[in-house]
Amino acid sequence: MRTFAYERPVSLADAVALLDSHGPSTRLLAGGTDLIIRLRDGSARPGMVIDVKRIPELCPEIRERDGVLTIGATTVMADLAANGLVRRHFEALAEAASVVGSVQIRNRATIAGNICNASPAADTAPPLLVYGAVVVAAGPHGSRRIPISEFFVRSGLTSLEPNELVVAIELPVPASLTGAVHLRRTRRRGHDLASVTLCCSVNEAGVTRLAYGSVGPKPVLEQDETHVLANPSAPDDAKQVVLERMFAEASPSKRSMRASPEYRMAMLRLLGSRAMRTAIERLAEKRGAQA
Amino acid sequence: MSASSIGSSPNRVGGIGRVSGLQEYVADVRLAGVLEAKLVTLDCARAKIISIDTSEAEQVPGVRLVMTAADLPQPMPRFGPQLEDRPVIAVDETKYHGEPVAIVAADTKDAAEEGARLVHVEYEELPAVFTLAAALDPDAPLVQDPSLRPKDPLASTNVLREHHVDWGDIEAAHADVVVENTYSFPIVTHFAIEPHAFIAAPDDNGIAVWSSIQHPYWLQRILAKLLDLPLSKVRVLAPDPGGAFGGKQHAKYEPLVAFAAIRAGRPVRLVLSLEQTFQAVRRAATEIRVRTGFTIDGKLAFQDIKADYLIGAYCDIADRVVGKGSYPGAGPYNVPAVRIFARSILSHTTPSTAFRGFGNPQVNWAVESNIDEGARVLGIDRLEIRLRNLARKGDPFIPFDTPADGDWEQTLRRAAEMIEWGKPLAPGHGRGIALGIKSGPTTGLSYSTVRLLADGSVAIYAGTSDMGQGARTIFAQIAAEELGAPLDAIRVVMGDTAIVPYDQQTSASRSTVLMGNSVLKACSSIQAQIRTMAARLHGIDESAITVERGVVRLPGRELRLMEVLKPGLGKLGGELIGNGETRKDGDADHPLGGAAAFFELNCTAVEAEVDEGTGDISIVRHVTVSDVGTAINRLQVQMQDEGAAIMGLGHTLMEHFIYDETGRIRNLGAIDYRIPTTMDLPLEMRSETIENADGPGPYGAKGMSEGALLCVAAATAAAVREATGVAIRDLPLTPERVWRALRERGGRANAGTNDDGES
Repeated sequence: MRTFAYERPVSLADAVALLDSHGPSTRLLAGGTDLIIRLRDGSARPGMVIDVKRIPELCPEIRERDGVLTIGATTVMADLAANGLVRRHFEALAEAASVVGSVQIRNRATIAGNICNASPAADTAPPLLVYGAVVVAAGPHGSRRIPISEFFVRSGLTSLEPNELVVAIELPVPASLTGAVHLRRTRRRGHDLASVTLCCSVNEAGVTRLAYGSVGPKPVLEQDETHVLANPSAPDDAKQVVLERMFAEASPSKRSMRASPEYRMAMLRLLGSRAMRTAIERLAEKRGAQA
Repeated sequence: MSASSIGSSPNRVGGIGRVSGLQEYVADVRLAGVLEAKLVTLDCARAKIISIDTSEAEQVPGVRLVMTAADLPQPMPRFGPQLEDRPVIAVDETKYHGEPVAIVAADTKDAAEEGARLVHVEYEELPAVFTLAAALDPDAPLVQDPSLRPKDPLASTNVLREHHVDWGDIEAAHADVVVENTYSFPIVTHFAIEPHAFIAAPDDNGIAVWSSIQHPYWLQRILAKLLDLPLSKVRVLAPDPGGAFGGKQHAKYEPLVAFAAIRAGRPVRLVLSLEQTFQAVRRAATEIRVRTGFTIDGKLAFQDIKADYLIGAYCDIADRVVGKGSYPGAGPYNVPAVRIFARSILSHTTPSTAFRGFGNPQVNWAVESNIDEGARVLGIDRLEIRLRNLARKGDPFIPFDTPADGDWEQTLRRAAEMIEWGKPLAPGHGRGIALGIKSGPTTGLSYSTVRLLADGSVAIYAGTSDMGQGARTIFAQIAAEELGAPLDAIRVVMGDTAIVPYDQQTSASRSTVLMGNSVLKACSSIQAQIRTMAARLHGIDESAITVERGVVRLPGRELRLMEVLKPGLGKLGGELIGNGETRKDGDADHPLGGAAAFFELNCTAVEAEVDEGTGDISIVRHVTVSDVGTAINRLQVQMQDEGAAIMGLGHTLMEHFIYDETGRIRNLGAIDYRIPTTMDLPLEMRSETIENADGPGPYGAKGMSEGALLCVAAATAAAVREATGVAIRDLPLTPERVWRALRERGGRANAGTNDDGES
């Protein structure tokens, strides 16, 4: 490992100041599950590593206020997956968090790290897209709120400025009953990088939201305004047409050794219809429980 | 006396250290002034080395040595267990991706790494071959310099050697049905959790070398020759390896590290990364064409097997793997006519080497699958066809070898019972059953020393490497049994050629039998001394005394061994020393250089469910039954069989190297080379043994620990075949591969039909 400066600011202002003065040569360290590997294999060679775990505003915390769930940037996957509020309102996010890496990884890997790493295969990306998350970022000019759908640019790149960092993720608690599920394809059942990730939600109003990843440079969000997908009496053919349109953005890499484009597309379609079914079932269960 | 531990499951000797992190591996050895080394490699497989500039690397603070081919004796010393074809470091040309062209040793690993990065190599990539087809092309570049094998007519080809095993007359054999197919087996790697690690240090006008190696004495011989030192001046220390599986049998970078240590005048340590172990050891990929003849009643009429093994750039032990792995290719059956033709094909890839199963799983995969195909054509149940052909005890199933040495029908029937063969299957499920056989050691030489100390405790000196298979425990159990000592009062000393007597090797599942017998003989020698003592003490003729399993029997009474030892040694105390030797000489006329000491025979049966949407295979139940003669330690036997079975599921379901066009392994590392995790295990896994105490080892034991890997692929693919109706002949059975096969099949109607398993 090459030498680098290490800073551990204890205030957000100090962190932003460090970022502002050292900019592109810095790397932020939260859980370290992506960064440490890159430091060791030499693919990241920062001049300075800024450890954000002591910054109070980024602390691992999940709280609900006024219909918004706020997740501190350094909240780890294991806590996200186990949290009662997340499991109640955002079950697909809990599912996604529970399949990131292994137990050890989930005890370290943070939500902010997962999205800032901007891997097209990031497990939490599809549910965050489906649930309409907002990324709260801080920079030299204060904080700004970025809709998650505008956050991912391409593999490894987000819309954050070099002098900005993620403070928290906000999730609006769905106003109507929602059934959702997160599915993924891996080469084995044990921990693995996904070759397709997909999240689907259906709400009482008949709106279906579908997000998928690992089949292009960034995760994609689609919404079925036609209400066809959620309609139990709509014919399968009609549903297929809508699903196909939603998958138009998928462009899996030909170079990947994890799965061929053909297989990825087939699995995307398969996961899409399986997820639709499960989301509708879950919505029905919730209705039943309420009745 | 203590109760016998033979057949029970006493705790593993050294087990706590192994699971708690206390065990000292080569990477943990503390030595004053040790330099840490890193290798310099090129970014392609085959390249002409034009120049190497080490000046910048030498300037890195902490770097003490940068060594290239130019710093080594000329001509470059070469070594290898079969052929002396491997240079200590690449000279003029690299032949596979990852072959070192320089080594940098420094005060710290970071400095060594920085130094290695700053060694500038000018090189030119050369045409290379990475597949069987490319290597066999008449215009293919030659991997090996023909001058390395001057009298060999194959020297101008990439075929290193051809192996023929024949009996009966294939051309004259009558067959009603002939089934011919081609099967492929991928390149897989050992993935020992401890990566290979080496230290060399100048020592006593010679050299001391630490290595996580299976064959310390073979390494000693190779180093002595390379360094022109007497054996006594080459001390090999072999701390218990953290997994080896054949990948740590033979010298790899020990010679390089030894030359570096001599040049530096200080100890030098090299610990490979996991990625570098992928580039250091692997199993040979194999393409197997099988033509099987059957008579109408399901008897095997002939087996015609052609197997091409893709070995690497240097021979290592790979050609022996090809010869010995293809040899029992016709299986544990009585087949009147057999023709096996196997070839070792060189390529510009990592040298392939021994790997659990030693070349047998490849041919087994093809031959067992082909027997299933024949059964389908003939409409005979797949268990039944095996029963009709299976060799019975004493049958000369390989005419010039040891006759069938077990009641193998018991093994087959027990596995069938455990998998509930013949019971109706749930939709989407299928079953498969297969037999695997492997020749045990063909030669062997194991010495041991046992010291019975004054207080009745025992020290055993045995040159076996305990790499996790539990050899320490087995030897301790034998001494405990014979000398009446409690297990926790026994020390087993291994892994130091300066202290422990010679052992040929730790491979071919030999140690329980060969070293076990040696320890048993050493104990017998002590028992004889006790007998003499008892005769002296009690004024009785020796012929009236017997000593057996810790008990001294005198006319009319029994004494514990201790009750003779203590007065026998008298005031000065002291000890009794016994030496043991097991020698299995070879036979120059035998195709393998010697008949099998025993056979490892296993039956694996699998029930699988296939998700036709994704191609995912779920192993619902996996049973494995091995004929082990006697299980000296029951739990260890089970763990070995389960471990072998899971390792077999790796190459069956997910493991394979993927190369790019320049011969680099694309899935280099744990992220993209997937091995089974606990999540990937069968929903139910059971292992059992057949024990008739009919083995040549202590208490009737046979060697074991490779058997349960041999036929996993065939059994699993057969289950997939029954579940879906598709036969897949290429491994691994990845979801995508299964999905493609299902798509080519189309529809779902024919799944599971026309299958004898249900009849």
